[in-house]
Amino acid sequence: MIQVHDVHKSYGDVKALDGLSFHVQKGSIFGLLGANGAGKSTILSILNGLSTYENGYIEIANLDLKTHQRDIRKISSLVPQNLAFYERLSVRENLDFFSKVQKTNKEQYQKAIEVNNLENFLDKRAAFLSGGQKRRLNIAIGLLNNPKIIYFDEPTVGVDPKSRSEILESIKSYKDFGITVLYTSHQLDEVSMLCDEVAIIDFGKCAIQTKITPKTNLKKYFWEQTNV
Amino acid sequence: MFSALVKKEFLLVLRDKHALMALFIMPAIFILIMSVAMRDVFSQESVSFKIAIENHDKSPTAKKLMYNLFKDKNFINTPKEDADILLILPKDYVKANKKIEIDIKNSLKIEEIDLLKAKLLKHVLTLKLDVIQEKLSDFSDEAAAAVRSVALDEDKLLQIKYNEQEKIPNSTQQSVPTWIVFGMFFIIIPMSTIYIHEREQNTLSRLFSMNVPASLLVFSKIVPYLLIAQLQMVCMVLVGIYLVPIFNTPALEINGTLSALFFISFALSLSAIGFSSLIAVSAKTTEQATTIGGISNILLGAIGGVMVPKFIMPQFMQTLANISPMSWGLDGFLKIFLQSASVANIISESLMLITFGIVTLLISVVILKIKANNGL
Repeated sequence: MIQVHDVHKSYGDVKALDGLSFHVQKGSIFGLLGANGAGKSTILSILNGLSTYENGYIEIANLDLKTHQRDIRKISSLVPQNLAFYERLSVRENLDFFSKVQKTNKEQYQKAIEVNNLENFLDKRAAFLSGGQKRRLNIAIGLLNNPKIIYFDEPTVGVDPKSRSEILESIKSYKDFGITVLYTSHQLDEVSMLCDEVAIIDFGKCAIQTKITPKTNLKKYFWEQTNV
Repeated sequence: MFSALVKKEFLLVLRDKHALMALFIMPAIFILIMSVAMRDVFSQESVSFKIAIENHDKSPTAKKLMYNLFKDKNFINTPKEDADILLILPKDYVKANKKIEIDIKNSLKIEEIDLLKAKLLKHVLTLKLDVIQEKLSDFSDEAAAAVRSVALDEDKLLQIKYNEQEKIPNSTQQSVPTWIVFGMFFIIIPMSTIYIHEREQNTLSRLFSMNVPASLLVFSKIVPYLLIAQLQMVCMVLVGIYLVPIFNTPALEINGTLSALFFISFALSLSAIGFSSLIAVSAKTTEQATTIGGISNILLGAIGGVMVPKFIMPQFMQTLANISPMSWGLDGFLKIFLQSASVANIISESLMLITFGIVTLLISVVILKIKANNGL
């Protein structure tokens, strides 16, 4: 579903991505692990067409990212680490807004509410939601366009354990809808529990890409493959 | 997509209490304060001198002069110890044709002294004409009548027009346009706060990832702020008409056409939106935007005649004022409030404002596109 091949990106003299390559299977939950500054956010930004890259090749759903950015954006969705919605609007007003911007249908709108258990807070101002409810709204917005691919940028930051577990369960359920998930995180246990496959990024390169099985010792891989 | 963006912006601004205070309460208070504070500057009946008279001439003519002076509302009969000016009519003032002595107790400006002299001269000359008329009447009734017909009453001798009108502009007519103009440029506060919050929270990134074009993001801000600015203008005009008179200050009079008023208001708000948009997309933080926005508003206001009226500026400053869009807006509003202007009379100011607005909006789109391509 996603092919990233030998991608390079620099910010001045700093190499953010230095020949990064990995591939994500359709319908899988793929984890991107890495320390701060490893290049996780940069590649997410590039995959969403929010940043350019210098060399390399990226193909998403058999489309070249450089030439089919608009089409790719229509089938993908970004759930940023920050709460990317409007706190002064209610949950319903936020969902209405992002739904209208993407011209999505009512069925999908309803599904985003149900999957994220937002039915009881629809008329509550987003500013007054709890941390977990805010995270769920953030994710629900990402579901509105019925995406084939969702990019999650550390979606459980600052969330209590109960909400965290609810969020991870809902992300797991996306597999049933055939959605491909690319999930970035610092949390090894989260990635082990959630993902089918993982790539460990270090200094802008893919240190290792491996499937996750019950026997996979992700902690060992992480310490061996990174210079943290 | 456009209507959703417009609705979102509307809701966000209307729920921002601080922004609404800056947009509506702040200029309304300024209008109230400045109209009341400047009331006397623009009033015809404002100049009054506290005088005391020491009369050493017991003649009827001298007594008449005293009577006339105290009848004049420019002179307030005051006990000697409290008076600003002491007038001394010496012994045989009339008979020996002596001078009136003027003792100024408190400091007066040169122009106030000139005014005092002019007002006094009027009474002295009237008195002298009375004496001449009385003497002439012994010889010729015709000559006496001719002298009697000479009136020294200003209203009968002079016709003053202010900007082609007989009415004097009042303090409210001066202060309402000033604070409408200044207030409109304060949309920089909600606009930059919302925009930078969108950027910091990655909402902008999210919108870009949803294929929302930068141009639509910028242009969608025009509609809500245009409407808010018109509402702001109407509120300030209503403050001038209904609230200001409660404080014993003349009400706002609109001498021009309403279409002209809304046209200049539309043009000014477009220019304020463009300018605010440019600062909002260029600034990195809310603090930076509000600081730059606040300072540039004050500078544009100072240059453009908001802080100090243009007509009292030196010539080179008046020329410099023309670079400020606030000055174009202010000129347009003053023409409407003071000179019975129609749309045709304010077309040049309006076109300059609209052009400024469009250019700054287009530059904002370019900056936003560049930033979006560089990951904001």
